[in-house]
Amino acid sequence: SRLGWAAEARTLKISHQFPGGTLEEGDFRDRITRRFAAEVEKRTGGALKFEIYPSSSLMKTLAQFSALRKGALDLSLYPLPYAGGEVPEANLGLMPCLVTSYEQGRKWRNAEIGQELARILDGKGVKLLTWIWQAGGTASRSGAVMTPDDVKGMKIRGGSREMDMMLKAAGAAVSTIPSNELYAGMQTGAVDAAITSSTSLISFKLEELAKHLTVPRQHSYWFMMEPLMMSKSVFDALTPDQQKVVEQVGLEMEDFGYKAAQEDDARVAEIYGKAGVATADMTADAVKRWTEIARETAWKDFADRVKDGARLLKLAEQV
Amino acid sequence: MSAAERNLVLGSAGEPVLRSPALRTVGAALALVNRVVVVLAAIALVAAGVVLTHEAVVRYAFHHPADWQDEMAVFLLVGATFMSAAWVQARRGHVAIDAVAELLPPAVERWRRFVADLASFGFCAFFSWKSWTLWHEAWVDGMVTQSSWAPPLWIPYSFMAFGMSLLSVQILLQLLDFLLRDGELG
Amino acid sequence: MGALELGLMYGAATFGMLFAGIPIAFALGLVATLFMVVFMPAAALDTVAQNVYEEMASITLLTIPLFILKGAAIGKSRAGADLYSALHAWLHRVPGGLGVANVFACGLFAAMAGSSPATCSAIGSAGIPEMRRRGYSGGFAAGIIAAGGTLGILLPPSITMILYAVAAEQSLGRLFLAGIGPGILMVVLFATYAVLRFRKEKRLALEQGRLDSPLLSEERFTTREKLSSLPRVLPFVILLTGVMVALYGGFATPSETAGLGGVLALALVALVYGAHRLDQFGPMLTATLRESTMLMMIIGMSLLYSYVMSYLHISQSAAEAIVALKLSRWVLLAAILLMVVVLGFFLPPVSIILMTAPIILPPLRAAGFDLIWFGVVMMVVMEMGLIHPPVGLNIFVIKNIAPDIPLKDVIWGVMPFVGLIMLCVLLLCLAPGIATALPGWVYGG
Ligand code: NA
Ligand code: NA
Repeated sequence: SRLGWAAEARTLKISHQFPGGTLEEGDFRDRITRRFAAEVEKRTGGALKFEIYPSSSLMKTLAQFSALRKGALDLSLYPLPYAGGEVPEANLGLMPCLVTSYEQGRKWRNAEIGQELARILDGKGVKLLTWIWQAGGTASRSGAVMTPDDVKGMKIRGGSREMDMMLKAAGAAVSTIPSNELYAGMQTGAVDAAITSSTSLISFKLEELAKHLTVPRQHSYWFMMEPLMMSKSVFDALTPDQQKVVEQVGLEMEDFGYKAAQEDDARVAEIYGKAGVATADMTADAVKRWTEIARETAWKDFADRVKDGARLLKLAEQV
Repeated sequence: MSAAERNLVLGSAGEPVLRSPALRTVGAALALVNRVVVVLAAIALVAAGVVLTHEAVVRYAFHHPADWQDEMAVFLLVGATFMSAAWVQARRGHVAIDAVAELLPPAVERWRRFVADLASFGFCAFFSWKSWTLWHEAWVDGMVTQSSWAPPLWIPYSFMAFGMSLLSVQILLQLLDFLLRDGELG
Repeated sequence: MGALELGLMYGAATFGMLFAGIPIAFALGLVATLFMVVFMPAAALDTVAQNVYEEMASITLLTIPLFILKGAAIGKSRAGADLYSALHAWLHRVPGGLGVANVFACGLFAAMAGSSPATCSAIGSAGIPEMRRRGYSGGFAAGIIAAGGTLGILLPPSITMILYAVAAEQSLGRLFLAGIGPGILMVVLFATYAVLRFRKEKRLALEQGRLDSPLLSEERFTTREKLSSLPRVLPFVILLTGVMVALYGGFATPSETAGLGGVLALALVALVYGAHRLDQFGPMLTATLRESTMLMMIIGMSLLYSYVMSYLHISQSAAEAIVALKLSRWVLLAAILLMVVVLGFFLPPVSIILMTAPIILPPLRAAGFDLIWFGVVMMVVMEMGLIHPPVGLNIFVIKNIAPDIPLKDVIWGVMPFVGLIMLCVLLLCLAPGIATALPGWVYGG
């Protein structure tokens, strides 16, 4: 009966840090959560409903992961490397030059490294539903950033511990300026360049300031994993049918996610190009040179610091 | 306008007074702890300023990477804040709205303050407990921060847990002081 | 239970706890915790400590203690008195020059300190006795200082602006710059009023035949006297411009600038006033800790408060309800500002921002208001809260500096300035460029 449905209906909360929009418009990471919510609600006949909290409006960005683990938050679309402080293996989610193309990233889910990662996160109380790797480019107000030689003496925001290690080894002065100060920092020259996802490059409007953009269309030294995750305790409390729907819809979101991510790579090149920024695609050769540095710095540090780290890196390289 | 704000602006809050003789030793001990903590907190405050100045100078003038300074400053300032919370409470420096309190007859007003303190104590004790749990998690799991410096998180968590515990003890002392003093008068 | 009922209960519980006199920080934490226990899954209780830590561990927020340190270093030294006596030496030929000097001194000091009462007490403790000695009426002298002091939250650096920038996710650098135009406008308005009022008081003295009134005596400063007043003021002008250049010249980020300002201010006080013994720095540091710990505890606990409001869908429903009213933009703005004024009767600016931001910002964003501009307007409106009767923080500072001025005179003295602040709000609505032009010019866009 209608009342029976209502009594059984459960409202799950999805939190993320990206700007909020609608099903059809806005940041694609927000749209993934909205599409997921709509589809699951439809297929469970309304037994599962969702409330979406964009722009960290429920809790601080970093607090989401631990809340998921404890079951205080149901779902989150969360940049995996942000969990690196709690689960060191999560740093694989933004290890420079470990994933260098979309094709490679997409193979993770079914490869051995993917199974390992899923197992580790499962042990920490987190279940991965939608696997998305997104590429990032570099906007610079001074010289173009392609090879390691280009960043020497440059003040650059890498955005993660591992990126910073690689950039420092290449001779850059890394900055830890918060992202909402990025525009002001670049305007005044507190930072010369910033590396982030194409979607964020668009929303930060750095095209008004940048002179060069390195576009991550074919290759990139920066690929970040931004999966839709669910609290395991919440997942386990669903009925087997609901669990199946949640997993299936999560998987189906990947087609949309990857398509949107690549569209944003093209879009960032177009928007910046129109604003008079010199754009150039990252080359395979340049990525190779960065990889040499990454191996000696970020990768080595990961292998030394993380239990089983060397084996995980080896598995990732096999993809 | 609250008494705490007035004291803050005018700098007129004196040293805390304990009226109950039974609590004098404990009170003196806690006051000593607070005094030491506040000296350390003041040093941390200035140190945070120096660390941030250093960050700007090395990055701008020498093009050195700046990666640990923000986090170091955060730890110092979070530490200074939580650790000095009890010292502030001893001087009734946490701002409250006293609009109603000032209209009450003195006898009722004293009980109002007791109940308000009791509520404050309940919250602070609960928060201390949850802070220690968090500290324990960070200690056992070896949690670190996100920077390339990556210091362990149990360090700032222990400032929070210890500072909130000290604050709870301070409020408890003020509650006991009210009860024991009243007992003597009654 | 719907979000509306929950929201009403939440609001009622908050008011109950606040008016019972529980310190704001603990009251917010307690209301949040109680609602978590009753209405949220048990697991939420395990996240309280981490949520608060994540809120506090923001380098932007943690610049607050450092800005307070900078203000305390200058405020607890003789800098305020020196600043204003130098300005007086240079402005004495202007009719009402002493009043104008006090307004300028408040503006300059406000541009170094993060809070309004600090500005008020630093300039007022020297300025009010001086003005009264020269025949200014008590109410007039009190009004100038109370109103001039409010500039502390409008001219950068400003603690309330930091909180707003974090809540509204706007650039702090941009917001700081946006405060300068309206700040200067208010300095001009206040100074103009000071000149007019001075002439009126002087005319009255003449008409009433009070020929012995100090209002009528001329004062002379030699060039030598003027020049000799400069060396003690120059360091602070250097501090002020140095910090501005560091921030807007791209030498330092806002957080680094805060550190730089605090350290430089301590160093200057040591150099200029020869404070070099530890016990001379003690009062500056303890005053800083008292104010910043009190503020940071409120800020940290307000995160729990807004987290529960968000989790129970109270803020979202309230925001949706406001949007659904389909108020015209300006009615919406007026309603929100009115609420800020009313809250200003009871709460300090910090708490007003923390408690209202999650509810008022989404409708304002939806109505297409520039949130940098709105931030400035909100600051100006909260400035009124600092001086309007019955309660205003700055009025109490005045009462402490000059206890013999009757409260009635103080209140009548500040009323014209309340009017001028309202005029400023109006001008900001008619010509938003007063606020937005400067950041637009510096940062582009
Ligand atoms: Na939030
Ligand atoms: Na200021």
